[in-house]
Amino acid sequence: MKREAATTNGLRRKTHQRLPLLAQAGPVSLWMILFVTLPLLFIIAISLMSRGAFGGVDYRFSLKSYATLFDMIYFKVIMKSLNIAVLTTVSCLILGYPFAYYIARKPADTASRLIMLIMIPFWTNSLMRLNAWMLMFQMNGPVNNLLIRLHVFSNPVKFIYTDWLVFLGLVTNFLPFAVLPMYSSIEKLQDSLLEASADLGAPPVKTFFKVTLPLTFPGIFSAIILTFIPALGTYTVTDMLGGGKVLYIGNIIKNQFGVIRNWPLGSALSVLLLLITALLIFLYTRIARVEDLEVL
Amino acid sequence: MKKSSLILLILSLMLSLCACAPAAGDKTEKEKETTAEAKADESKVEETKDEEPKADETKAEESKAEASEAEKAEAETPAAEGGDLNIFMWGDYISEDLIKTFEKENNCKINLSFMSDNADSITKLTAGAGKDYDLIMTCDAYMESLIKGNYLEKLDADKIPNAVNNMNPAYWTGENRDYCVPYLMNYIYVVYDTERCPIEITCYNDLIKPEMAGQIGSIDGARNLFPIALVALGYDPNSTEEKEIAEAYEWLQKFNKNVVAYGSTQENIVNGLISCMLTFDGNASWAMKELKDKNTLKIAPFKKDPVQLGFDLFVMPKGAVHADLACKFLNYLSDADVMAKNLEEFPYSCPNDKAVEKASEAYRNDPAFDFDYKTNIFFQKDVGDALAIYDEYYQKLKVGE
Repeated sequence: MKREAATTNGLRRKTHQRLPLLAQAGPVSLWMILFVTLPLLFIIAISLMSRGAFGGVDYRFSLKSYATLFDMIYFKVIMKSLNIAVLTTVSCLILGYPFAYYIARKPADTASRLIMLIMIPFWTNSLMRLNAWMLMFQMNGPVNNLLIRLHVFSNPVKFIYTDWLVFLGLVTNFLPFAVLPMYSSIEKLQDSLLEASADLGAPPVKTFFKVTLPLTFPGIFSAIILTFIPALGTYTVTDMLGGGKVLYIGNIIKNQFGVIRNWPLGSALSVLLLLITALLIFLYTRIARVEDLEVL
Repeated sequence: MKKSSLILLILSLMLSLCACAPAAGDKTEKEKETTAEAKADESKVEETKDEEPKADETKAEESKAEASEAEKAEAETPAAEGGDLNIFMWGDYISEDLIKTFEKENNCKINLSFMSDNADSITKLTAGAGKDYDLIMTCDAYMESLIKGNYLEKLDADKIPNAVNNMNPAYWTGENRDYCVPYLMNYIYVVYDTERCPIEITCYNDLIKPEMAGQIGSIDGARNLFPIALVALGYDPNSTEEKEIAEAYEWLQKFNKNVVAYGSTQENIVNGLISCMLTFDGNASWAMKELKDKNTLKIAPFKKDPVQLGFDLFVMPKGAVHADLACKFLNYLSDADVMAKNLEEFPYSCPNDKAVEKASEAYRNDPAFDFDYKTNIFFQKDVGDALAIYDEYYQKLKVGE
């Protein structure tokens, strides 16, 4: 809008050459500085301080937190976290793509209703949903009772606090984040392109891989980012469904700010996590050569 | 249009996810200090009265965190006007009737603000909380450094005669007598199911026997777990020697193998997931009540090994404005009848002997408080810089190196 006004009015253009630019970029920059840059700088600053005697921050410069990061232990935890994040992301994509495709091919009003259905569970607190999973899979919970009544098992099975329950929790938690951007991409896909592909003799499978998939790639990419990053830093799911036996990087950072009260180390770990994520995204955009990102 | 609404949807999703996170943080922020988790679990004990056997601690914690925010905002405004008594403590941890009675008797107003973590009160105390609060709840583990750091106001024993007369002196010793008044306390002991547990547990070393694989539930936190290992190995439970802590770590690795889950011990034992738990007496009490006549839980008959005892206590921050009223309140709270009434609502172990004598039969006959080694105890002490060593090994333990 502002750009239009500026271009149509040639006279003002010269005198107020910088004004439109400032008007456009100013608020956004202010917003970014306030809510992204400053907090980030604050985290970086804290990561360079020392731990106070009672925990918290002692405002003396120290690189100790970063030196601590070279401990093998953190490398292992990060590898483990990457592992579970990749698994979750891939599962979300595999489950989410057909789902998104199905919704996108429906008429608009049905589609919006279906989207609503994905959203509804998210109106409750995520901890509530995790608790629901825990209740379902208790030793004397409904799932076990049903299995016993159906004579599938004679004794209750220990589902709770197992890796697969953690995995289930992660996938259900992040599935909507995968479905929504992919839906937005698939929805824009024009039928005429698919028809053209079919007319030119491509079988459906080939059409999918040569036309549908490449055209919806921006959505897939967004889905990956939106599931992978939170999955990498998550700690509630692993804490609750995993029984606190295994720590991921998210849990470790959380502990630094909570029980251990080593804020500088927690900040340093956050910075490390940020760098890893940024690097991965950078590499990924390079390899995939994505320019037009859905959502992001 | 569609795209922008989608973006909005996703943003709101992200927000909802972010909003959930801190609440969960509270829930698990309990580990280091005994009492922190005790509260988390105890708040659950309260909640389960309303026929909600699976009441989750997160729910309770969350509402507590919310409540604490609200209360804080509420409490801090009138505090500035003066004349009131300002107390900072755990939420849902004191009888409201008692507060009201005290307010009426002394024609004053009590402003309660609630903490969500033990660290909160330390942060407040070390930052100089005298202007804002007259009494702050903390736990025994911090007392030594708080006194050393000169963060506390001395209490005049003449002004709290009830505490002097009623408190069991074994629980209120040394320098602590001058600086704090104990409120309630919790033991960390072992309870097992006589029907389902493969072996009888009489010492900590029984917990690492291979027979116990997949049987144990435990509370969490470096300073709750390492002491039992140190005791089992014959060391000081508050050791600051790296060599000893490293050995304790090895012991805990074996323990960790047998553990099914950390946290939610009482629910897991009631549900039959575990047959043995290292837990707080308040949690055991809940589990035993929950099982009713099917209760086959037994407090492990320890012969030699001491158990950990933790206190919640009130201290007065340096420069407290309403010191006299605060002492009056502490004295009131230490009155046998008053505390006995409080125990009806909050049935936890109590260092006030006279109050326990006057407490209800149900409280006195609670099987969870009925064991014969109540005085064979150790306390969590400030370990200073060694805390970093504990944290390091604790992380190693959890990462499974």
